[in-house]
Amino acid sequence: MRALATLFAVVALSLSLPSATGAGGNLTVFTAASLTEVFPKIDPSPRYSFAGSDQLALQIRQGAPADVYAAASPKHPQLLYQDGLVTKPITFATNKLVVLVPRSNPRHIDSVYDLRRSGVKVVIGDRGVPIGAYTRQLLDALGITDAVVRNVVSEETDVKGIVSKVALGEADAGFVYVTDSKPVASRVRRIQLPNWAQPSIRYQISIVSSTPRKVGARAFIRKVTSKRGRTLLLRAGFGVPKKR
Amino acid sequence: MFVAVSAAITFTFLLLPLAAIFLRVPVLDLIEQLGNDVARDALLVSLKTSAIAHAAVLLVGTPTAYLLARRRFRGRSLVVTLTEIPLVLPPAVAGIGLLAAFGRFGLLGDELDALGIQIGFTQLAVILAVAFVESPFYLRGAIAAFEAVDDNLIFAARTLGAGPWRVFLRIAVPLAAGGLGAASALALARGLGEFGATIIFAGSLQGVTQTLPLAIYAELDTDFDVALAISALFVVVGAAILIGLKAFTWARFDSTSPSRLAPSTSR
Repeated sequence: MRALATLFAVVALSLSLPSATGAGGNLTVFTAASLTEVFPKIDPSPRYSFAGSDQLALQIRQGAPADVYAAASPKHPQLLYQDGLVTKPITFATNKLVVLVPRSNPRHIDSVYDLRRSGVKVVIGDRGVPIGAYTRQLLDALGITDAVVRNVVSEETDVKGIVSKVALGEADAGFVYVTDSKPVASRVRRIQLPNWAQPSIRYQISIVSSTPRKVGARAFIRKVTSKRGRTLLLRAGFGVPKKR
Repeated sequence: MFVAVSAAITFTFLLLPLAAIFLRVPVLDLIEQLGNDVARDALLVSLKTSAIAHAAVLLVGTPTAYLLARRRFRGRSLVVTLTEIPLVLPPAVAGIGLLAAFGRFGLLGDELDALGIQIGFTQLAVILAVAFVESPFYLRGAIAAFEAVDDNLIFAARTLGAGPWRVFLRIAVPLAAGGLGAASALALARGLGEFGATIIFAGSLQGVTQTLPLAIYAELDTDFDVALAISALFVVVGAAILIGLKAFTWARFDSTSPSRLAPSTSR
């Protein structure tokens, strides 16, 4: 019985430890899934954990061993900052929305206003996830919310779901971040949206307060905001804020 | 001692997460959530699509299982194994497969389009996904149930002049009822819990294709308590279906087979 309990404890410990001990000198960066392509190009050395910004914030609150937190919106960095869990967040990138249509474009969609036509199958994000919230902001600004929402056939819980349904041709159009359209560029067409209606989509980065690797974390953020970092972000389709 | 500890660990491990759901949501809140639009719509969509898919699986699957259980033909085990493949696949693969077959640009896309049938993003897509993932569970159990039926009873009925259809309906199905019921309950529960294939093949829209599991996932981003409440609702609905079906089949099994058709137990 005691042997079994010991065995169980040892197994449980060994499974839960690596995140703490394995980090040794290596920086751990928690970052929004949309940065999956570009961050390793900026710096391949840290260990990355890519996920939804909300999930990552939840994990940091529960004491996950993160050194740097990069989120796809200011919401969670600012909340964590207010609670003293991260340092003051800085904006390092911006993003835009586009309408994605299948390459064959069966419904001949040339502008966002064509999405009001009845029978067009539109896929958007669920209102609970950032892409869904931004899309509704944009539609409100354009004043076409009702007509477009009537055509919505699916409210996806992440951007991948929207991109894949358009790329496979199941849906006629979907609203995504411009950076998400790059990997499927051969299968889709992008339709630009009026700049004045674009919601402000800002990516923020900060250092987790409890990190023992403050120097490394600061160096990482310098790399992201450096000239080279900004060039790589631009190449990936992001916007960058004006040099401070 | 080791056995007792193992059993304790097993029960704790399996029941703790379920108990935790109810401990985090007061029962009154849970009942209140039944009035929540998202939860109510998802419950209706789930019950409707599961009922239709399950009826179709029972209707077509039962004769198929009977055939596979009673007939000996070349390649039979191959056929049985093929029907079991979806059982060991991740649901996401089922979703991709359904898209590749029935999607707009899938194998049958043009044919379906010509007939004016659009499956994507409709409840029909949900029903197909549910039926696809649950049918192997039913087939497997039903084949075993029919295999356990005493051959002599079938032969006796045939000798006494009953046709194959009559033997199937009046002898084989009642004798296998216990096993069929258990398989049916398991398949229904699996169908109700279907997530991966549905979100890939049918999408997620409240009141149309958003089933209970999809609603839980969507609410996870919005309101964890609502997700918990729907989860609790799901546990209750799932448990009710399981218990109901099992009670039904036990009652049936006890009243018919051992008393009237005793030989099947002496085997």
